[in-house]
Amino acid sequence: MDRIECQWCKAQNEPDRTSCTTCGAPLDKQNLVSDSGWAEAPRLRDMTEFRFSNSTCQIEGEIVPVAELALAPGDSVFFEHHVMLWKEPNVPMSAMKTAGGMKRMLGGMPHILSIAHGPGRIAFSRDATGEVVVLPLHPSMELDVREHAFLAGTHSLDYSFVRIKGLANVMHGGGGMYMDRFVTHSAPGLLLLHGYGNVFQKTLQPGEKILVEPGGFLYKDSSVTMNTVKQGLRTGLTSHNMFLAEMTGPGRVGIQSMYVHHHSE
Amino acid sequence: MSMPPQGAYTCPYCRIPSDGGGGTCPHCGAPVDVRMRVSDSGWIEQPPIRDMARIRFNRSTCQISGTYVPVAEMNLHPDDSIYFSHHVLLHTGPDVQLDAKKMSGGWNRRLAGMPLIMMTARGPGHMALSADHPGDTLAVPLQANQAVDVAEHRFLAATGNVDYQWLKIHVWFATQSGSDNNDREMHYPAGRFLDKFTAHNGPGLLLLHAPGNVFVRDLRPGEHILVQPSSFLWKDPSVRMNLHFEYPRGQYWFSSARWEAKSIWLTLGGPGRVAVQSVFERPEAVGRVVDDCGATRQFW
Repeated sequence: MDRIECQWCKAQNEPDRTSCTTCGAPLDKQNLVSDSGWAEAPRLRDMTEFRFSNSTCQIEGEIVPVAELALAPGDSVFFEHHVMLWKEPNVPMSAMKTAGGMKRMLGGMPHILSIAHGPGRIAFSRDATGEVVVLPLHPSMELDVREHAFLAGTHSLDYSFVRIKGLANVMHGGGGMYMDRFVTHSAPGLLLLHGYGNVFQKTLQPGEKILVEPGGFLYKDSSVTMNTVKQGLRTGLTSHNMFLAEMTGPGRVGIQSMYVHHHSE
Repeated sequence: MSMPPQGAYTCPYCRIPSDGGGGTCPHCGAPVDVRMRVSDSGWIEQPPIRDMARIRFNRSTCQISGTYVPVAEMNLHPDDSIYFSHHVLLHTGPDVQLDAKKMSGGWNRRLAGMPLIMMTARGPGHMALSADHPGDTLAVPLQANQAVDVAEHRFLAATGNVDYQWLKIHVWFATQSGSDNNDREMHYPAGRFLDKFTAHNGPGLLLLHAPGNVFVRDLRPGEHILVQPSSFLWKDPSVRMNLHFEYPRGQYWFSSARWEAKSIWLTLGGPGRVAVQSVFERPEAVGRVVDDCGATRQFW
């Protein structure tokens, strides 16, 4: 019997599966895509379970979902410490050294990322209504994520942070000074994000552009370039400027529907 | 199965006839195949617009996607335009023409905390809007010359032929506090202004976003209902608003003249439709009322 390809992560699944073993997306539901090509991130069913390495992840709840990980010996995940909801006492913890401490402080990023090691269970959640977005990363992928949006990453991911290029992007982009960058090398990895509201993804063709509210930006393939464009607005005798993030393909762009608007000036 | 003839189905929410096909009302996006949910007291629950449902307006469409914080994605025809507050713009194609909408009363709007900038978007192209609270996005189709009054900060977008005005709400009270009772503070529990939208030159479409769930009811002439002031969402212009204070029976420290414990209500009087949202802010209920807009009172 034919295997089922997950429409979200493209992984192959056994024919009797109702959710993807790699990302948890329902396999018995059609992907929802808007007329302009934005695909909704799959709504993970309550208690959906999927695997990574020798461990499992279960998504619980729907309004502010919890990602509960059952870590196998030898597996580990890293995360910002304030997203940890609970853990078993015997789960060992360590700290990941991150370079550029002063830069991280200036950028409002946590100095230290925590690492939880298997065996044992640990759970993560963020602080507002939204969706957990599961992004399995194949070898040799690079993904840039809005700061403070990632929930957890598996040990096979290489973590760094990149400065958002261009003063205009930093000042007016609404995404802070840095983006988290996750890179896979020879082994695949799994990245869990939390997007506020609903999450949508669009794949841009080479040279294709889309303008996005900077606060709505969630993630992108590193091949997608991000620039800030100014939209001049004149009201009566006063003029205002509004800034939008111009994304240029090729690659995926993810956005969230709930965000804090970056004020115009 | 043959399609029912045009006009065979009248949407119970927007009250506009359509053919009833496609699973959702083409004018407001409400599902056609679900039973209307009405509470024992007569509140009709506004059903959420189904994910990916399309609403038609003029020669354009609006597609609602998502369920927590829904996104309204417009496919604008070259002849059509919409306007919206600039902070709800989520994404836009490079072809869509964005401009500022001329607004009067900028100083008053700034004082009232209302958005200073309204933008217009003209087709062709795709663009999308979303608000910043989990809740319901609802479409209110307006017939020619029909108007609705909307609570401030609930507006998401309207078609270009919908006229926008903002009016002062005469629902206010003043309290006095401080050691020498000299600090006078003004309170506007339902906000200072009301957005009024009127369709001209044909039907128009108004999109609102309300935190939480939305409930609608029809008030008969002379019928009154008390609602939390900040839960008010929209009403027909025929519905009258007033302030009502309710003082509980009994004496305790909090009911002293200085604190004056009370409930603050917004009275809505029929005839007409009113809508409320389930998420609201608690009004500041303490302080001795020294002046008001002609509020009614109930002492229990």
